[in-house]
Amino acid sequence: MSVITRTWIAFAAIGIGLIHVALVIGSPLALALPLGILGAIEFGWGVYAFTRDDVPTPRVAMVVAITPLVVWGLLVAGASTFEIATLATVLDVVPWGVAAIFQLFVAGTLARHFRRMSADTGTVRPAPSAGRYLTGLMVGALAVSALVTPALAATEAGIYAQPHGEHDGSFTPQRDVPVLHDEQFTIPGHVDH
Amino acid sequence: MTKSPNRLLGTIFGAVYILVGLLGFTVTNGVGFFATEGGLLLGLFEVNVFHNVAHIIIGAALFLAGISNRAAARTINSVVGFAYLVLGFAGLLLVGSAFNILALNAADNVLHFASAAVLLAVGLGADKRATGVSA
Repeated sequence: MSVITRTWIAFAAIGIGLIHVALVIGSPLALALPLGILGAIEFGWGVYAFTRDDVPTPRVAMVVAITPLVVWGLLVAGASTFEIATLATVLDVVPWGVAAIFQLFVAGTLARHFRRMSADTGTVRPAPSAGRYLTGLMVGALAVSALVTPALAATEAGIYAQPHGEHDGSFTPQRDVPVLHDEQFTIPGHVDH
Repeated sequence: MTKSPNRLLGTIFGAVYILVGLLGFTVTNGVGFFATEGGLLLGLFEVNVFHNVAHIIIGAALFLAGISNRAAARTINSVVGFAYLVLGFAGLLLVGSAFNILALNAADNVLHFASAAVLLAVGLGADKRATGVSA
């Protein structure tokens, strides 16, 4: 695996970790606890991956990358089947979906790495130049930050976060802004039952 | 230098930070050394005189390490990256307070976090023996 791909995996893991930790806020305890632990592990693994010459515990990482995706799918199916509104609200598609993109990237890249290793012909790939490495690293950092920022903003913690520099007490969280649903959906001539 | 990501990054970031520090003086005319309200560089990043001096010192450290050798560049990139990470978090608490002696605003914090991420990633990740990307 090239050193650039490894930095992308590390950045993706840090992004997944941040999203999972942010999802702790507003989640029921049974979901918040594993999310918090998982997020901390993913974040730590991402930082650790930067310091290593190879991807640490790649097979475990692949399983850990896929598991939350499967669990999310099961929870969404369960929430819609049994009409559990409280669970459905914490399974917002933006943060979970962005995390899913990163998880698929990590798992897919690691799976490709294993396939190449099994068919290894002994050829050593040349290391990228310093300029190419820095460009690859910047692209990875930009892509992850561009996806993680809206994902974090869509979490319960992000919705209630106060915009920077507006510490004057007048801020109303997005979710608490009154929305006039009744007026929007009033049908002229409709008579209440 | 072109074979070491740490040296290349340190030299580029160092030169940019020195330039930013010098340009900062063009918007801090009449602003106090530790003033909590500074001038806006590029209409976005708030700076005071202390902030400009800090940029020049940090830029000089990065630049000198970058042009000297790989070990120095790697160490300085990691140390400055960690310092920027701490400053980024501190900045979140300092904005709008009386202790904001660097005249930090939200744009400054974003720039500090971005610098921290890149410097730490390269400092920790590049120029290791087996990566191949080394001087």
